[in-house]
Amino acid sequence: MSIFLRNVNVLSRQLLKTIHNPRTADIKHIKRWVAPTLKELKRRRDKIGPEPLRKRSEFLEWNYDAEIYAFGKRLGEEFDDEILRKSLIHRSYVIQQELKQEREETTTTTSAPTEIAKEDNSHLIEAGKEIIKNYLNKALQNQYPEEPAEALHKYLTADDMLSHVAKHLGLTDLILSEDFPVENSTLARTFEAVIGALNESSGLERAELFLKDFLLTQLSDKDIFDIWEPEKPYEYFIGIAKELGYKDVEPRLCNESATNTILANYQVGLYSNKKLIGLGYGETIENAKDTAALDAIQKIKLQNFNKKQALQ
Amino acid sequence: MSALKRVQQWATFARIWHIYDATWQNPFESAALLKKYLMGLHKPIYHPLADCGDHVVVINCSEIALPGDEWKKRVYFHHTGYPGGASWTLAWELHKKNPTLILKKAIYHNMRGNLQRRYTMERLHLFPNESVPDEVMKNISNQIRQIRPVPKRLDHYTEDEVKEFPKLIDYPKDYIIR
Repeated sequence: MSIFLRNVNVLSRQLLKTIHNPRTADIKHIKRWVAPTLKELKRRRDKIGPEPLRKRSEFLEWNYDAEIYAFGKRLGEEFDDEILRKSLIHRSYVIQQELKQEREETTTTTSAPTEIAKEDNSHLIEAGKEIIKNYLNKALQNQYPEEPAEALHKYLTADDMLSHVAKHLGLTDLILSEDFPVENSTLARTFEAVIGALNESSGLERAELFLKDFLLTQLSDKDIFDIWEPEKPYEYFIGIAKELGYKDVEPRLCNESATNTILANYQVGLYSNKKLIGLGYGETIENAKDTAALDAIQKIKLQNFNKKQALQ
Repeated sequence: MSALKRVQQWATFARIWHIYDATWQNPFESAALLKKYLMGLHKPIYHPLADCGDHVVVINCSEIALPGDEWKKRVYFHHTGYPGGASWTLAWELHKKNPTLILKKAIYHNMRGNLQRRYTMERLHLFPNESVPDEVMKNISNQIRQIRPVPKRLDHYTEDEVKEFPKLIDYPKDYIIR
């Protein structure tokens, strides 16, 4: 079946090549048999269905050694070859290889046993996780108050984020694991293992700089309130206003328009000691109050925190 | 999308209701002014496809002032579609029939004839005098400045005020005014 499929593909490709690049001087028209033939080939291809996804390593020219070497060089990092290789081997892959070997032994008794990887990346994953956690704690706690820092930490260490980074670093094809296509969780674990490998190869400082360059930068251009938002902003702000040094916070209605229609818009300002500390809008006064509180939190809590840290 | 971004969008496209007093104003100059508010041309976010026009409530439409002898010379043409159905109405006649129509037509003709024009006109609310329904009045949050200041007419001053008005010269006491 697969040979047939390949033949169909090769044939149609050859045909298309001659049709789409006709040497205009030689060919004045397209032969009458070309269209029906292409149609028939297309029909057969459609009948067989789409080609199955193949691992990149199944292709003939795949060179794992070169890829491993290029991975570190591409990122400008010095990896120890052994450790990097180990960091890409998952537990599931080792088990798969062992089973395969057992099966081979039962069928062919005389052949020499093939070499299989014994060590997987589980301890590198643990090490990498610890490094990521420590580094993010250090980096975020200087920048944000406790609650948003926690939310950002969670956001950056989620499987979705780690797998996104890992995928775009080009780890997908290098991973040795049982699952194909590679799952997000596997990608995320591999990223952690690579951090562990970098730590063992070039030291903690390089690993942290790597995280700064590739993981922490994911926060660039993102709005803090997209990631973290207090459930009841106004109550939350009233709760923290005193410790921030704002007494007698009161909301005031600054502007309103089209109040008798469904497009009503209100503008509420939060005042403390006759000074405007936050301005918000909304379709109702309650909504506007909440967004004014959000504005105040952003202006006072988050930005002042940065300034305070910078002064220290 | 965070709540802050959502309300930013809401506030950007908020519809503002303006009020304009047409007393002693030239309707054709006023039309050019009011058109900008109706279409949203005064906003930095203006785009022909962005629905960003405001509402305008015009009061005292019956008090408009046409320049020169426009009341007598300006003619509004209408054709019923039947043979001999053409009619020409002078401005003063039209104003007598419907005191908001001259201003309405002035604004309508000040805009380009595209599909949006009739929807834009829907946002214009014309009233012949000062009585505006309460539900409309509640929406208003801005007043458009009049093009010309309204002078006080001599017959609106009290007799004492006229008498006490400082004068440089006066007629002699024995002067007879015919």
